[in-house]
Amino acid sequence: MAELGTMALLIGLGVTTYSLLGSVIGVKIGLPELIVSSRRALYMSILSASVASTTLIAAFVQNEFAIKYVADHSNTIMDRAYVWVAFYSGNEGSLLYIVLILSIISAISVRFAPKQLARSMPWTIAILAGVQLFYFFVLSFFANPFELLETVPAEGRGINPLLTHPGMFSHPPLLMGGLIAITIPFAFSSGALLAGNYGDDWVNVARISAILSWAVLGTGMLLGAWWAYTILGWGGYWAWDPIENVALMPWLVMTAFAHSIMVQKRRGMFRMWNVALLNIAFVLAQLGMFINRGGPVVSVHSFASSTLGMIFLGFMMFALIFAFTLFLWRMPHLKSDRAMESFLSREASFLVNNFLFLAVMGITLWGVLFPLFSDLARDVSVSVSAPYFNRANGPVLLGIVVMMGVGPLLPWRKASSRSLRQWFIWPTAVGILTILVLLGLGVKRPVAIFSFGVIAFVAFAILEEWARGTMARHRNGENWAKAWWKLVNGNRPRHGGYIVHISILMLGLGIIGTNFYQQRTDGALEIGQSLVLDNYRIEYVDNGDSSRPDRIAKWAEISVYNIDVNSYATEKSAAKAQGSTGFTLNDSTRRPGDRLISQINPWHGFYLDFNMASVRSGIRSTIIEDLYVIPRDFLPDGRVSLAVSINPLAWWLWAAGPIFILGTMVALWPQAADRPNTQVRRRMIRESDI
Amino acid sequence: MMITFGCIREEDITLEQRMHQLTNQLMCPVCDAQTIDGSNAQISQDMRAKVRELLQEGKSNSEIKDYFVLRYGEDILAAPKGIGFNLLAWIMPIFIVLGGISIAFLALKNMRRSNTQATLIGTPKQHELSKYLKQVDTDLGIHEDKNSEDYNPNNQSVDEIKS
Repeated sequence: MAELGTMALLIGLGVTTYSLLGSVIGVKIGLPELIVSSRRALYMSILSASVASTTLIAAFVQNEFAIKYVADHSNTIMDRAYVWVAFYSGNEGSLLYIVLILSIISAISVRFAPKQLARSMPWTIAILAGVQLFYFFVLSFFANPFELLETVPAEGRGINPLLTHPGMFSHPPLLMGGLIAITIPFAFSSGALLAGNYGDDWVNVARISAILSWAVLGTGMLLGAWWAYTILGWGGYWAWDPIENVALMPWLVMTAFAHSIMVQKRRGMFRMWNVALLNIAFVLAQLGMFINRGGPVVSVHSFASSTLGMIFLGFMMFALIFAFTLFLWRMPHLKSDRAMESFLSREASFLVNNFLFLAVMGITLWGVLFPLFSDLARDVSVSVSAPYFNRANGPVLLGIVVMMGVGPLLPWRKASSRSLRQWFIWPTAVGILTILVLLGLGVKRPVAIFSFGVIAFVAFAILEEWARGTMARHRNGENWAKAWWKLVNGNRPRHGGYIVHISILMLGLGIIGTNFYQQRTDGALEIGQSLVLDNYRIEYVDNGDSSRPDRIAKWAEISVYNIDVNSYATEKSAAKAQGSTGFTLNDSTRRPGDRLISQINPWHGFYLDFNMASVRSGIRSTIIEDLYVIPRDFLPDGRVSLAVSINPLAWWLWAAGPIFILGTMVALWPQAADRPNTQVRRRMIRESDI
Repeated sequence: MMITFGCIREEDITLEQRMHQLTNQLMCPVCDAQTIDGSNAQISQDMRAKVRELLQEGKSNSEIKDYFVLRYGEDILAAPKGIGFNLLAWIMPIFIVLGGISIAFLALKNMRRSNTQATLIGTPKQHELSKYLKQVDTDLGIHEDKNSEDYNPNNQSVDEIKS
């Protein structure tokens, strides 16, 4: 079985090598047959990658512990569904998964590439084949998942316990898939440059593939945050850990690209800039692979760590040199069609937003690398973690949110002062009003209040546009719903973008709420005791056991009460005098105003072989706030040690996910460009603008 | 605005809240990239208890941080202090932002200056077409308003805008 897998990898190495060399040589000596056969060879890599993947999964299903990777990442007790997770839970398997995805999406994008790109396709294929070649090479010689053990163990080590969560079926595959999918738009833009195809033919296909990879990566990160929130048991969802940062950085650059490519599409400007952005994103994705696999910085996510650092560093450097040499070589041909007409135009606002995104990327990169500099420069190690990134990136991120409100209100080309007044007056008023109301309500923390105001400003700016557009159509006799729907349909990239903006605002709410207004307390409870935090009382009712041969696990049965704070005034002031936010109660008789609102069952397990604890938090969630209970430990004396917090607005973080996906789908849904009248109209506008 | 009710709290920075702020700023010495707040390792539990003890003794936040730096080294802090070499960590972001903004500004200025003429050439043709385009818009029932490329917010003639 292992032989079949290894063979498939070697064949993959062969066909991608052929595809790469055949494309280049075919173009150079002008042999169309060779070019065609190179393209077909690229399709063949799907077969190699899927045979190898199927073999590995089959080995997991059949518990083939003779294969080292299977023995290291599964055992016979684990839930069979997690075979899929085990497949990519280690270094070798995840590389195989990456090449599987890359081979499939390469073939799809080559097969459906527009005809105008015929001249640059051989170069695009060569780049796609080259990247696949690298992964097949590493898999064949440095990280073979089919390596055999000399003595076959009776039982495997089991899957990493932190990965046994439903989120793991989708979070890692989406994250890795999104990162590697950046190769596709990069291959199209660089292929066009190599072929000397300087037109905008590659723009549409690059935009679609770029936004797809961006959406997949974004969804993957959000799922990771959700996973961390529910299972990791540290009460947060984003730690600015190096591995998180290296996924965030290309995503930021792709976000910038998703905006600026529209300027090229509509106005024929920013050509150089767009190519540069794709180059940066691609190189950063390779940096991500490098840091992930034996990179020089420490991270909590050491699931796939290996000693392949130097190989990935080498490939990243190669990608960097290749991409930017090509860029500099072809730069003179990438002039804009038109000049910038005004600072107050959408083009200009997109440029500013792009630089802000790159600034966040740059600061994050600096934070990731600073410990290395410190080590090298003065041999002192320092840590750069969440407090640094929050403070350094926070203001820039807020600036991006401001631009999210400003940009869409500005027209293309040039804004007049009257239109500025007309469009800005209401959103600004709503933003200021929000700030005043929040101050009036007694909300504290100026930075957070200002941010809430900004969010209201942006939200209202979007609503204002929808309202005005819908009303204009309504006056033409359409009913409201139809009018709004037609408005959105009339320009999907734009209105899909707005829907994505709304999801970002929801994320913003969650981030501000949880960062600025979280309340916490710790305590250890016996059965029958309660812990009170603000207007919640949680009572430890009972516990249950769910141990297995490979783990010691318990869960707590906890009743959550909403309480009238006045009934507990004496205890509260006593606790406050001692400096505590929460307090413990020995008797759990209900007092006036107590209302049972939820039952939660936080769970704590300790995995013996891994010497590792895994936690499932108990969460009672509303759109206003989450009550969040982490079981830190079940103590030997029978008590359970709990960390309890109230996380305001946390619900909005997760609600943003579906909206984000919806917006992306709207933006990408093929525009009805085939409708002849629309097309005629487009052409007229374009020609009129020459 | 309704949903921000969860954010209305009486402002009581209790010792416990200060403790959580501090435990988020101290790294767990034996874990990979985790703060003692997030980690459950024995040493993190001990350090949390120590933070609490020091707070009850009335020590200030920076005194407590210094206490741990003295015992565990500089990398116990989750963010480097802004002094000496580590000042670089904090100054660089400012340079990045300022640099980015000035490059964007220069690029804009450059793009504006480069060919103002190009825009003028197109104008008469567009002027002729604009009536026609409006007609198409009405036929399609599209009023893209400021989104359309020939948006003219003030109903001025195109010549006026140009001048």
